[in-house]
Amino acid sequence: MDVGTLTQQIVNALTLGAIYALIALGYTMVYGIIELINFAHGDVFMVGSFVSLWLLADFLGFRGPINNPLQLVGILVFAFVFSMGVMGVVGVLIERFAYRRLRNAPRLAPLITAIGVSFILQNVIQIWRGPAQLNSPQLIDVQAGFYLGSAFVHWISIFVITLAIGLMIGLQLFVSKTRMGRAMRSTALDREAAQLMGVDINTTIAVTFFIGSALAGAAGVVQGLYYGYTFFQIGFQAGLKAFTAAVLGGIGNTTGAALGGFTIGFIEVFASQAGYTSWSEAIVFTILILVLVFRPTGLLGQRVVERA
Amino acid sequence: MKPKALAIFAVVALVGSACSNATSSPSGSAAGNTAVKIGVELPLSGGEAPNGGPTLNGIKLAIQQIQVPGYTVTLNTQDDAVNGVNNPDQGAKNIGTLVSDKAVFAVVGPFNSAVAKAEIPISNEAGLIQCSPANTNSTLTLGDTAKQLRQAHPDKIAYVRVVANDDYQGLADATIAFKDLSKKAMYIVDDQTTYGKYLADVVETQFKKMGGTVVKHDGAGTNVSDYTSLLTAAKALNPDVVFYGGVTSTGGGVLRKQMVANGMGGLPFIGGDGISDGAASVASSFLNIAGDQGDIGTWMTVAGAHDIPDRATLAAAYKTAFNAELGAYSAAAYACTQVYLQALKAVGPDREKIRAYVTTTTNSFDTVLGKIGFDANGDINQHIISYFQFDPTTKDWKFVRQNDPTAA
Repeated sequence: MDVGTLTQQIVNALTLGAIYALIALGYTMVYGIIELINFAHGDVFMVGSFVSLWLLADFLGFRGPINNPLQLVGILVFAFVFSMGVMGVVGVLIERFAYRRLRNAPRLAPLITAIGVSFILQNVIQIWRGPAQLNSPQLIDVQAGFYLGSAFVHWISIFVITLAIGLMIGLQLFVSKTRMGRAMRSTALDREAAQLMGVDINTTIAVTFFIGSALAGAAGVVQGLYYGYTFFQIGFQAGLKAFTAAVLGGIGNTTGAALGGFTIGFIEVFASQAGYTSWSEAIVFTILILVLVFRPTGLLGQRVVERA
Repeated sequence: MKPKALAIFAVVALVGSACSNATSSPSGSAAGNTAVKIGVELPLSGGEAPNGGPTLNGIKLAIQQIQVPGYTVTLNTQDDAVNGVNNPDQGAKNIGTLVSDKAVFAVVGPFNSAVAKAEIPISNEAGLIQCSPANTNSTLTLGDTAKQLRQAHPDKIAYVRVVANDDYQGLADATIAFKDLSKKAMYIVDDQTTYGKYLADVVETQFKKMGGTVVKHDGAGTNVSDYTSLLTAAKALNPDVVFYGGVTSTGGGVLRKQMVANGMGGLPFIGGDGISDGAASVASSFLNIAGDQGDIGTWMTVAGAHDIPDRATLAAAYKTAFNAELGAYSAAAYACTQVYLQALKAVGPDREKIRAYVTTTTNSFDTVLGKIGFDANGDINQHIISYFQFDPTTKDWKFVRQNDPTAA
């Protein structure tokens, strides 16, 4: 493998990892605060990709790249705000109807309702848009880029990586610096004590779902921009990978989720480079098993308390 | 075909399958006729509707146009698409349903090779003949796999097909790359399915035999959605042509689209009949997903004749009946039905007699494909492959030529 190919594969891995990390954050935040594995989260990402498809292709009528930079930035900001907002609200509704009443029920009950929500979301999209792959407009010219040595780096990759890192930093700041962030951390630490100290538990959990689902919504927009298509079943596969990323990094730990996402991105990309595409999942899960056997709390540990 | 027409097909197909057991003889049939049924086992809903719909219409048109004295023929239609994708388990269930419907004397279908693999053992054991208008995988009729599939009655073939198998199609695809396009370095991706992998392997073997090199052959299963890293790795090996063994729903269109994003858009792309699913205007078709913006330099083969002896008449009748153009496999499905109706006329609706009549190698049948017969394995004795090329002006496939690739 020459240097150019290596550089390009590293960029590919970072891009794929960034998408996994964005989805993984939602898993890990929800687990951190109510210890629920929200299996519907992958499908929230999938619905996000359809919301963005609807907005960009059907409502605004875009087919391909936008060449005017100002217009491009405007439309992108609008698309992300819209999809993240819609998916945030969807996340809050899911929590309100499927999980809140079961908050003190045995663990198995909300797990099953989560799987139920996952199927409901898939069926709703399947009925709405049909069960086949659909073309999404790629607003950023996917062929455009620049040379970094002998490697060609696409602007879209730079955009995806920057966006993901920006959102992660934003999330960190929100959790560590704001009043609501403190409420989230205290709820994660001890729900009853937090309640006694005057934290509104229901609002805090709802906000957690809003943020987690909004991040999945952002990943959904990225799916359309980067891959140029979406499909009602992409949520399962992506959700599984992102969940693995969350566990690999240490579930409940937001930095861990990001690290786990990038790790899986690198494993997959370099398995493909080596010609073992069919093995990439086996390799990912072998590494997961090894990590869990030797470090049951994941790479960075379950620092639920500090990180929410 | 327009999406709206597709939607209507899907609805018709669903309604058809829902009440097919309840229907008695259709209006206008002569009194005193024996009611018999042809079973239909195709993927009809969702993303498969562009495949199964026009194929089902071929069968419908045949039973409308051809009367067999003494019999009223209706259809028992079963859909093997689950969540919009053909499903071998559902196919096996459907064949069970058809076997237990005593009025069914023969079955047209299935469409997909993986589904056929699940169905052949069941129809073989029951002695109910199947005629596929579209299965091309060679192992369904040849070699050890085929022997295992018909273990129940090895000597009683109960599966025939009216399309050439992938040994011929793969040869044709390799010919496009090596002779038509004069390319020497091929990159191959397959979708790891029964159909896709076998076809890709044949193309690899034939392309090498002609003198070309295969720079890399990746198996990317149906769950792969990101081909970026594969393409980056392949690009470094400087291929000058790409072959995809698989269907649109397992990633064909997405692969072609991502080639453009990764600076390989200029390379010619070749696929088998798995990417033959309509014009760029059809949502979810290969041409639509791959990108309806420009020339995507793609060639495709279909394992049957495009220029059949009297295509114009059939196309006109089809247009009158369904207000649409012939699908890639409409004529083949029509031919399967003709074979059955001729057998019904000759030996009556007894399943075993029909099976024996159809599979007798010396019998021949007058069909829209010409005079055809089946060899000892159930393969059609006509090995015509049709070649198509993407036409950037119409944004649709354009017929180039047809031939028997072994003779060319």
